[in-house]
Amino acid sequence: MALLDTVLSTVGKTSGVTAAALLDGVTGLSYAEYGAPEPAQDAQEIAHLAVMHLNRAGFTGELESIVVTTAAHHHVTTRVDRQGDPLLLFALVDRDRTNITWALRDLAEHTDRLLS
Amino acid sequence: MSQETPAARNIPALLAALHAEKRSGAVLVSGTPGGVIHVRDGMVVGMETPGAPGVEVLLLKSHRITEDDWTAARATGTDPARLGLELVAQGLLGARELEVIGQAALFDAAFALALTSPDGWEMTAPRPLLDTGAAIPPDRLVTENTRRIRLLSNERGATARFARDRPDPAPAARDPQRTARLSPRHRTLLTAADGRRTPRDIAFTLGRGLFAVMLDLRDLLALGLLQSPSVTLAGRPSTAPRTPLSASTATPQPSATPLPRRKP
Repeated sequence: MALLDTVLSTVGKTSGVTAAALLDGVTGLSYAEYGAPEPAQDAQEIAHLAVMHLNRAGFTGELESIVVTTAAHHHVTTRVDRQGDPLLLFALVDRDRTNITWALRDLAEHTDRLLS
Repeated sequence: MSQETPAARNIPALLAALHAEKRSGAVLVSGTPGGVIHVRDGMVVGMETPGAPGVEVLLLKSHRITEDDWTAARATGTDPARLGLELVAQGLLGARELEVIGQAALFDAAFALALTSPDGWEMTAPRPLLDTGAAIPPDRLVTENTRRIRLLSNERGATARFARDRPDPAPAARDPQRTARLSPRHRTLLTAADGRRTPRDIAFTLGRGLFAVMLDLRDLLALGLLQSPSVTLAGRPSTAPRTPLSASTATPQPSATPLPRRKP
């Protein structure tokens, strides 16, 4: 198993996370996946649209995370900084099994260690 | 050394056949840009083409690795295939970062090769390759290339033309208020797009992927900060509709004075 798949498996053990993917923040290429993260296919495009619209509105910083909430899930996309183009960690979080605050805290810890 | 090449109508069909037979070797692709596809046990483990930056360019031009560290790692006499692992062992690069860069370079090379039809291909024995741990089934390369072309223009010919364009800054790019809102990545790209560089040239200059550069150029074109060369090209034949000249610019009517007559 590739190293990145191992890392994603660890993310998948986070309470409430049912699927995860590591994406390229510019191209949307999926480097590794855990579970069945179909919604991840659009996560990069959603993040890109959000940044472009925020920039147009005068926002100048970097996007940190996006949470899209549906009836059953939180779709959490977190930016992973690195030298060069950023990565995105996408996680599908079951709303019945955790709350968004815990999920964001746990995912932030994974994000910090992802490429170390 | 040449190997038996399975009969195939195109590169994806060839890679699918190699995948089914779990073959190992190198596929030499001729044409422009051409390149080498490295296959191990039917999986694509690397691609090199002049059409897109490889792992070495991505590492050095992006300043993840300095030229000195790269030269020092090579000087240890390490097998070229294990050079990436040597950089990881020396603590100069994370193992996961190497895997990300390896995959990014592989998919980018596949995209560059997919923009043109090759002149031909030949299967040879395995060739040395900087090992990054990437191993991609060929059908995923096809799916990803289809997605990339759809994102850029939905048509391979138009994407290939965009890849040959040399966009240059539009007048709006000189407005500090407009550029201040851009991400640092887009601002760097705006500086590199000077009307002389193609997206490939910019990708090699900045140590970024060809597809990533094309996506960001698309953003800058959409924002009106870059313009396509066709907008600024001087001296091309006019395609404007022919209309009668207005009265003010038309040829003057003959004056009331009669023309001189020849007298016999």
